[in-house]
Amino acid sequence: MSTDRIFKTTGAAVAAFSLIAVAALVPLVYSSQYGLGVLITMLILMVLNTSWNLLIGIAGVWNFGQLAVYAIGGYATGIIMLRTGLPGPVALIGGGLAGALISAMLAFPTLRLRGMYTALLTFSFAQIVNMVIVNDNTGLTGGPFGLPAVDGLFTSLSPDGSMRAYYWLALAVVVASLFAVALIRRSSFGLSLTALRDSAGFAAARGVNPLQTQVIVYAIAGFLAGIAGALAVSFDRSIGPEVMSLSLLSLYVTAIVVGGLGTIMGPIVGTAILTLLDTALVDEPALKFGILGVVLLLIVIFVPRGVFGALVELRDRVSDWIAEDPGDDDEAGDLELRPGGPAGAGGG
Amino acid sequence: MTDLLAILVNAVVLGSIYGLVAIGMTLIYGVLRVMDMSQGSMVMAGGFVAAGLMGQLGLPGAITIVAAFAVTFALGVLTQLISVQPLLNRKSIDFEMVTFITTFAVALIFANVALEAFGPQQRSVPPVVEGSIEIYNGVTIPYQSLVMAAVAVTIMVGLGLYLRRSRYGMAIRAVAENNSAARLMGVPVRRMFPLVMGVASGFAGIAGVFLAAQFFASPTAGDLPLLQALIVVILGGLGSMRGTIYAAYTIGLIQATVAVLISTTWSLPVLYAVIVLVLIFRPQGLAGKASEARL
Repeated sequence: MSTDRIFKTTGAAVAAFSLIAVAALVPLVYSSQYGLGVLITMLILMVLNTSWNLLIGIAGVWNFGQLAVYAIGGYATGIIMLRTGLPGPVALIGGGLAGALISAMLAFPTLRLRGMYTALLTFSFAQIVNMVIVNDNTGLTGGPFGLPAVDGLFTSLSPDGSMRAYYWLALAVVVASLFAVALIRRSSFGLSLTALRDSAGFAAARGVNPLQTQVIVYAIAGFLAGIAGALAVSFDRSIGPEVMSLSLLSLYVTAIVVGGLGTIMGPIVGTAILTLLDTALVDEPALKFGILGVVLLLIVIFVPRGVFGALVELRDRVSDWIAEDPGDDDEAGDLELRPGGPAGAGGG
Repeated sequence: MTDLLAILVNAVVLGSIYGLVAIGMTLIYGVLRVMDMSQGSMVMAGGFVAAGLMGQLGLPGAITIVAAFAVTFALGVLTQLISVQPLLNRKSIDFEMVTFITTFAVALIFANVALEAFGPQQRSVPPVVEGSIEIYNGVTIPYQSLVMAAVAVTIMVGLGLYLRRSRYGMAIRAVAENNSAARLMGVPVRRMFPLVMGVASGFAGIAGVFLAAQFFASPTAGDLPLLQALIVVILGGLGSMRGTIYAAYTIGLIQATVAVLISTTWSLPVLYAVIVLVLIFRPQGLAGKASEARL
C-alpha cells in the first residue's frame, strides 16, 4: 500500500510520521505519573472520538449512542478479565467485538431514520443501556457502582513501566484507528458512505447497498469504540455507568465539532484542545461547561469546518497562492499540490 | 379503582405539562426547522423567576406567570439571535444539525450562568395555588395541578386557534409549510423567526413556574423536562401540532401507569423503550408526515 493513497502530499506524510515519532518519545523524557495518566486518557478518548467521527462526520449518521457502545466494550473487557483467566489481549479484542456487535445491531433500526430521529433513537438506546446497567442487581456489572478492581494489563511491570506500556499501547491504537479511518475514507467504501450521506436516494440508485454499507460502518466504528472502552477499563482498572453521562456526551461531541467534523485529524485536534482546557480548568470545574458552550458556539458559527478544517483550508489557500504563477495555467498548481514521486513514499 | 383514577389524573396533569413544553419545540421546529435544545433552560429560567417573585417577594402566582413569560420570551429571542439567525441561509451546512448543536451550546451557557448566579442548591418554590381536593378516597389532587393543567390546555387551545384563525397565525403556518413561497407572498419571514422562538420559550417558562413549585428551582431543573419534551416531539412526529398533543398525553399516560404500578425509577427507561419501538415501526412518529426517510 503506498502512502499517497492516505496522505495527499509528501508534507502531510512527513508531518504525520514526525508527529507519531515525537509522541512515541514522550514517555522516555517525561516521567510524571499524573501527566502521563492525563495523556493516556487523552489518547483513549482520541480513539473513541475517531470512531465517533467516522459515524457522524464521514458517514453522516447522527449517532448519540456511541458512549454506550464504548461502555459496553469496557464492561465486556472488564467482565472477561474478572471472570475468566483469558490473557489481556484477548479481553481487549473481546471488548472490541462486543462493541462491534452491539453497534452493528443498532444499524438496523436507524437505517430508515433521518437526522434528528436517528439522534433521538441512538440517544434513547444509550439511555436504556445506562438504565439497564444502573438497575442491574445480578452482580454482573456492579450496578450504579460499576465494576470493581479490574486487573488490567501489564500487571508484571513496575508502575513506571506499565504507565509507559499503556501509553505506547494507546498511541499505537490511535495511530492504527487513524490509518483505518483514512483508508476507509479514500476507498470506494468511503465513497459509498459519503454518497449515502450527501444523497441517499441517488447513492442507492447508483448501486450502493444502504443496509450493507451502514452495518459495516457501524461495526467498524463500534469495534474502535469498544477497543477504546477496553483500554479505558484496563487503564482505570474500573468502569461505571457514569462514563455514559450527558455531560461527557456533550464534552466529546464538542471536541469532535471543534476539531473539525468529518476530517481525519479533527477529533485528534479537538480532543487535545479539550484535554488542555480540562487540565487548565481543573480548579474551576464549574466554569468548564460555560466556557465549552461559548467555544462551541463561536466555532460552529465562525469556523464551521472546525480548527483542523480551517487549518487545512488555510494551507490549501497558501499553497494555491504560492503555486499561482502569472502566465502559468492550473496544471502547474496541480503539480505543486500533489508532488507525488519517489520522495512521497519515504515514510512508509 | 383508586389506582385507575390516580393514573388517569396523573396522566392528564403530566400530559398537559409535557404538552406545554413540547408544543413550543414543535412550533419552533415547524417554522424554523430547529430542534431547540435551549428549551430546557427556559423551564429552568421560569423556575428561578418563580423562586424570586413568589418565593422571596411573595408576589401572587398570576403576576409570576406573566413575568416568567416575559423573561423567557426575551431569552428566547436572544437565543434565536445568537445561535440561529447567523446560520440562516448559510451554504453547505446541515442546518438542522448545526442549530441543534448551537442551541445546545446556548443551553450549556445558560446552565453555567445560572450556576454562577444562583449556586447549585435546589430552592423550594411555593405552589402557585395552595391546597388540594380529595376526589375519591385516597386520591387527592392539589389545586396547583388543576391550575397547571388548565393553563396548559388553555395555551394549547389558544395557540391552535391563533394559528388557524388569525392573520399572523396564518402567516406562521405559511412559513412552516413553505418558507420561500411565504416570503414571496410578502410574509416578513426573518422578522418572524425571533418572535416564534420567543413565544415558544415563553411557554416553556410558564411550564417552569409550575414545575419549580412541584419540584425545585435549580440550574439543572430543565434537563429532565427537555428530555421528556424531546421524546414527546419525536413521538408526535416533528412539526406536527396535533401529533405533539396526542403524544404528550400518551407519554403522560405511560409514565403515570408505570409510576403507579411499578415505580417512578422505571418510568423514563420505559419511555425510551417505547420511543425505540415507535421509531422502528413508524419512523415518522405518530402523526408526522412521511417525509423523506433517510434511506
